[in-house]
Amino acid sequence: MRGTIRMTQQEVDPLGGIAAVPLVGAGAVGATGLAVALSWWHADEIGSPFAALLAVALVAAAAAVAWLSTLPSRAPFTVERLGLVVLLALGGAVAEYVSTVNANRYLYDDFGSLALGLLLLALAPFCSWGALLVAGALGAAVVAILGIGTAGSAATAAPSFSFAVVNAVAVFAPAAAAAAYSATVVSETLAWQRRTNAAALEHEAAMRTGIARSVQQGRVSVLSREVLPFLAQVMTADRISVADADRARGLADALRRALKAGIESTWLDELAATVSSSRGIPVTVHDDEAAASLLRDEQRATITALIAWLTDERRASSVTIAFSGGARSGSRITLAAREGAGPLGRRDIERFTAVARAVGMRGEVSSAGENIRVEFRHDG
Amino acid sequence: MTLGLPEHLAGASLNRALTRAGHSAAAVCLLAAMVLAAASVIDGRAWGLADPRASATLVLALFAAQALAQAALARWPTVTLTVLTLMVGAAVAFALTTLIVMAGSDFESTDNVLLALPRIALVLLGGAGFGSRIAITWAALGWGMGEAATLLAVALAGASLDGPAGVAVWAPNLSATAAFLIVAVVRTFDAVSRRTATRREAGLYRATQQTRELEIRHDYELRAIARLHDTALSHLIAIATAGSGPVAERLRSDIRHDLALIVGRDWAIDHADHAEHRTPAVRGGGAVAGGPVDRGAHAGARIAPAPHSTVTAGAAPLADAIDVARHAGLEVRLSGDPEALARIDPRRREALEAAVTQCLMNVVRHAGVDEVEIAVGPGEHDVTVAVIDGGAGFDVEGIAEDRIGLRTSIRGRIEQEGGTVQVWSRPGVGTTVLLTVPTGGGDR
Repeated sequence: MRGTIRMTQQEVDPLGGIAAVPLVGAGAVGATGLAVALSWWHADEIGSPFAALLAVALVAAAAAVAWLSTLPSRAPFTVERLGLVVLLALGGAVAEYVSTVNANRYLYDDFGSLALGLLLLALAPFCSWGALLVAGALGAAVVAILGIGTAGSAATAAPSFSFAVVNAVAVFAPAAAAAAYSATVVSETLAWQRRTNAAALEHEAAMRTGIARSVQQGRVSVLSREVLPFLAQVMTADRISVADADRARGLADALRRALKAGIESTWLDELAATVSSSRGIPVTVHDDEAAASLLRDEQRATITALIAWLTDERRASSVTIAFSGGARSGSRITLAAREGAGPLGRRDIERFTAVARAVGMRGEVSSAGENIRVEFRHDG
Repeated sequence: MTLGLPEHLAGASLNRALTRAGHSAAAVCLLAAMVLAAASVIDGRAWGLADPRASATLVLALFAAQALAQAALARWPTVTLTVLTLMVGAAVAFALTTLIVMAGSDFESTDNVLLALPRIALVLLGGAGFGSRIAITWAALGWGMGEAATLLAVALAGASLDGPAGVAVWAPNLSATAAFLIVAVVRTFDAVSRRTATRREAGLYRATQQTRELEIRHDYELRAIARLHDTALSHLIAIATAGSGPVAERLRSDIRHDLALIVGRDWAIDHADHAEHRTPAVRGGGAVAGGPVDRGAHAGARIAPAPHSTVTAGAAPLADAIDVARHAGLEVRLSGDPEALARIDPRRREALEAAVTQCLMNVVRHAGVDEVEIAVGPGEHDVTVAVIDGGAGFDVEGIAEDRIGLRTSIRGRIEQEGGTVQVWSRPGVGTTVLLTVPTGGGDR
């Protein structure tokens, strides 16, 4: 559990994070709606309309920050953003307290602590369980103090401490729920990944043999089938003819070219060749410095998934990938696709850029006519 | 590594995560309720019974009973325990409501914090079974039974639904209702979003596997390139430059030697086992011993024929490399501790010996000398082989990009096995290539 204290669902399961964004929107609308509705509900207790309006505005701001910060185009959600949401929501709770000070008869209809709790709950897929517990504890401590301040004017005759507990539980219960959700998803995802990687290693020997046999069909292997019989023929012959010498020269040149191309190619060239031949969609790679070989496994998987999606069902009619800046920090990978049989929706592609952000590549999507362009900045 | 969860596992994981989230919130609610009751026991201010402390103690016991039932359900999520927990929760709601509606209570209705906390916990009970529908069903039962118990308690107490001020009246508990709505919305959203093709269409899991396969394929392509380069290219160039005329016996011999090594073999596959199929004639230590190879008396004795010669434990150190050099007319002096090569993992040893062979071929082609020294030095966790010649040398910084032999056949091979290659050379002075590989097995 200690190893997952800083990890979020968004990091370990980026698509799960993207899928949860609408829930944050619902939570944001819910928190703002709660603030408006309960302000109206206890309007007779409000002594300072300005503070009441400020309270609603601060809760709405916290909700907006939460929602906008979790959009796929702004991934990943950071601890700083969580801090801002908590700060704004707590500001709303304090402003609400000020608006009803000495006139607040019931904590039960106060929205400050409820709104903060609701936002923490909605942000569970984007925060680590540790961050959620800390945010929940800090928020609960602040609203607990506000609760004690309300005890004097309350209708219920209960110990002051009880008011602190009531206010705190409205924040800490949702925070605890959010933390449990985050911890479970992260630990189960990591456990599955460990099992998968272990199984993959076990099966890799068989996979290697299969791949090695298929390599026999590769360009170098095909060439070798011309070269080796030729050498065998020369070995058994008495003389080398002029034609033999010319043939040897031609084969040597072809072999050198094939060898050089093979050495300079990367996994991305293999992918492009595979996709082009299996799906009939031209995929062109411009990578003079073999920068593709410097990408990490998860970055490669993201680009592979995007290319696979673009060429699946002939969505794109052609795809071009260009690397610029080599291996330096801030280097760019530009992927351009021309629309084919299916629409290349920005929203669909933004799922991949969100995943890319989770693995250290900043992605931007732009479109012009039938072309769509995705630019990744390789952060390292 | 892999990215995210595959579709068929995501549902189960998210279901468990949402259930545990509910359990956690329920635990906090019940704990807070017990703290409130305990505070009232200490403070002596409470509701219902004539003795406030007795009232508060009874309330504390009720909360504790529900907490116990829900903890058991979280541990053993069976249908029986789920039904039992619902009944305990309803009983607690009934008893609490009965206390609250008694004269002396300062709660105006059943929509209050004290009733809300156990009611919320009952909504979040989780329950037996799997999936969004069953989870919503249990939550609905938790909400409905709690509400029914509250209504029944108010009715039995004879309290009027429109009772006078100061006496609690029934009102739906808004907090419990809100908790139920949140559960319903989240569970419904989870079910609907997983039905959409977002996760499946993105194909991240498949892409992760495909990327790994592409890497392995590229790795094998490089191995195939290195092997073809080592065996065929020099012969093709020799034939092209020889022009028409009789085939030189040395060329014929070299081609025969190399073809014997590669033809008929699945030569892209790692050759950790292929040496077992080599004919003693090709690798024969006797032939090496009879050639112009001066390994010194000590080393020469060690390169004597091995009955079951393989690159593994029993192989004569660097026999293939020395054999190739002898065919090319190069005299090899072997020094140091060649037996140290036996400590290396077979696959790594083969890569090292292939790289040494390529070094010797480079000496033949470029150095313009007829002798070379190979020194083997064992380290604690690695073995180093130095190939030293006093030939033409070259400018290491200015080495051409298309020098495939050095890049792939030497450096590529050794680095793939976790080793290092260092090259020192100066024009007119000679060249030293230092190849170091770890002695243990690699991770592939």
